[in-house]
Amino acid sequence: MHKLSRLALAFSASAMLLTGAAQAQQKTFNIWWFEDPASSEGIAWTKALDEFKTAHPDVTVNFQQKTFAQLQASGSMILNSDQAPDVLEYNKGNATAGLVASQGLLTNLDDYVTKQGWDKILNEGDLVLSKYDDKGIYGSGHVWGISVYGEYVSCFYNMDMFEKAGLKAPTTLDEWVADMDAFKKQGVTPLALGAVDTSGQHLLASLAYTKADDTWIQNYQGLKAPLDGAPYLYAAQTLLDWVNKGYISKDSTGMKDPDAALLFTSGKAPMYVSGTWNLGSFASTIKDFKWGQFVIPTTKYSVGSTGNLWVVPKGSKNPDLAADWISLTLSPKYQTELANDGGVAIAADPSTITNPVGKNAAAVFKQIADKNGLGFYPDWPVPGYYDVLNQKDTGLFQGTLTPQQFVDQIKKVYDDAQANQ
Amino acid sequence: MAVGYGAAPTQQRGYYLYLIPGALGFIVIVLGPQIANFVLSFTVWKGVGLPRWAGLQNYQRLLQDDQFWGSMIHTLLFIISMTIIPVLIGLVLAALLFDYIREQFGEQISSLLRAGFYLPQILPVTTAGVLWGWILSPIGVANIVLKAIGLGGLAQNWIGDATWALAAVSLVIVWIQVGYCLVVFMAGLSRIDPSLYEAAQLDGAGWWQRLFAITVPMLAPEIFVVVLTTMIAALKVFAPVFVLTAGGPDNATLVPSYLTYYHFFTTQRVGYAAAIAVVQTVITVALAVIFLRFQSRQEAT
Repeated sequence: MHKLSRLALAFSASAMLLTGAAQAQQKTFNIWWFEDPASSEGIAWTKALDEFKTAHPDVTVNFQQKTFAQLQASGSMILNSDQAPDVLEYNKGNATAGLVASQGLLTNLDDYVTKQGWDKILNEGDLVLSKYDDKGIYGSGHVWGISVYGEYVSCFYNMDMFEKAGLKAPTTLDEWVADMDAFKKQGVTPLALGAVDTSGQHLLASLAYTKADDTWIQNYQGLKAPLDGAPYLYAAQTLLDWVNKGYISKDSTGMKDPDAALLFTSGKAPMYVSGTWNLGSFASTIKDFKWGQFVIPTTKYSVGSTGNLWVVPKGSKNPDLAADWISLTLSPKYQTELANDGGVAIAADPSTITNPVGKNAAAVFKQIADKNGLGFYPDWPVPGYYDVLNQKDTGLFQGTLTPQQFVDQIKKVYDDAQANQ
Repeated sequence: MAVGYGAAPTQQRGYYLYLIPGALGFIVIVLGPQIANFVLSFTVWKGVGLPRWAGLQNYQRLLQDDQFWGSMIHTLLFIISMTIIPVLIGLVLAALLFDYIREQFGEQISSLLRAGFYLPQILPVTTAGVLWGWILSPIGVANIVLKAIGLGGLAQNWIGDATWALAAVSLVIVWIQVGYCLVVFMAGLSRIDPSLYEAAQLDGAGWWQRLFAITVPMLAPEIFVVVLTTMIAALKVFAPVFVLTAGGPDNATLVPSYLTYYHFFTTQRVGYAAAIAVVQTVITVALAVIFLRFQSRQEAT
């Protein structure tokens, strides 16, 4: 016993010495993000990080590349531990950022918003997903995170195939259907889709949003009332009709997004509905045809949102440095850099953007954001809804669920979560 | 350090000391989490914050959860593809390699083939799953080959159609499992006295007759172990389903482990996930106990 306690004393003394030494040394700043190094955000932020290191020579900056899945699966547990970094990219939305904010795991950024002048760069719409109330619902409450880029779902199309078929990009739903019909008549399956993956539910939601008004979107995303299934019923009926007419292959239930994207990038399918996160890889992989995007014709709402958030964990030892980092990524220099890397800049001056892809994306995002048309993603309101929508999507596409059964089943899960929040 | 305290009162008790590391490991890694899981299954918890006591609520929900019952039925089907089919194929292959291939083509060829069959066990399931995904995708290798040899009519949407998905995942699982059965059976075969086969051969017994009259009865202990371990594996199957179909299409390949994962990490119903895990554990332990009882009775007779 005597020996043991002496040993323990020696251990704790040396541990204290060690931490003392570390404190005397340089300050360390830990930063994580999960954007792919080859993505527009990854490229722009890596450059910004170099500048940040030069600007703070007295700080040791440790960057760690994470993956979306890593933080999606265990983010809240990491933030709840002493392993959390000083600043990190975190998925926006009630089920993720909202949850950890409501659990008190993040630093309140209210003061920084004015101190760093973020309120002059970002408008109210850009900050909607930065705020979460004490239940973790977005839209009001304190500012817990800052987004520095945008995202939206649109239809990518092969301009060469359209030109050859004598078609042009549609501006209404009817024109879109007519285009698809023309391709089908020429023996081409017009729309590539990964029905088990994100693109399936984003197409579904895009169609549902064409029938959505302000109240529906607010109720739906805010989990304010039992699900009004009418827009989804319309979307499900339309999709099933498209599958039956051959605009979408029944095989899409066996395809993930990369498979469907491959059909588009290899020039086999003229259209692919997905998000702006494809811009970087499409720009680098598509070499032998011209391609563009058109926004899915809708009265107001599109599937899209401001991007993921920079959040500062509660345990961050350097919140001021974290705020400096956020300001740097919001600065005109790195907003333009982001757009020139093909990303969707949230606050770039269009006249400074030289990359046509990034210029167009910034313009489209501004157009949607300015009319307050960001309808967000369909899986947001309910934790785990992403998988539910994928599973039920495939049921609809393969014919084991009728549109009405489809709506009934997703409504059951939604209403269950709504009643038990 | 402990030895320095002098001799233990009796020699017998001294051995207990050496059990401490193992016992500690068991408590920390197996027993502790099991108890924590059991307690959590009576709570509502989001993974962060404080759990709230909920009594039997999670279990009541479980009884009415179609997804859970569906996944249990799929488990029964996976016992066919993880246990029954691999054991049958493994038996025939092991016997074939042992007393035909080895005799005709030599030890080396036999070892090479054995290693080949075992390879899927070594490959990370995630890697193998991605490869099989490429093969079974509607625009994948399997369909391309079928179309190339004029059998395009047989091409299917293997993992995207509820009719085929369970069979397609089962095929991959059989491919993974056969190697394990084969290696254990071959090890067992080397224990059998060759004179038994020679005597049977002299009596005019054919290959299949020898398989059923000598190999199978003599291999009973190995078959027993393999059946038990693979059945337990079937009850917990996760990785192939996760990688290939994520439980889809429309939950056609959902299994209890995936459902647990889903509720733990995505719906944040940690308590409910814990309840599913408890049911799984109870079934697994019950199965193991029944088998071990049965085995010891067999050995006694």
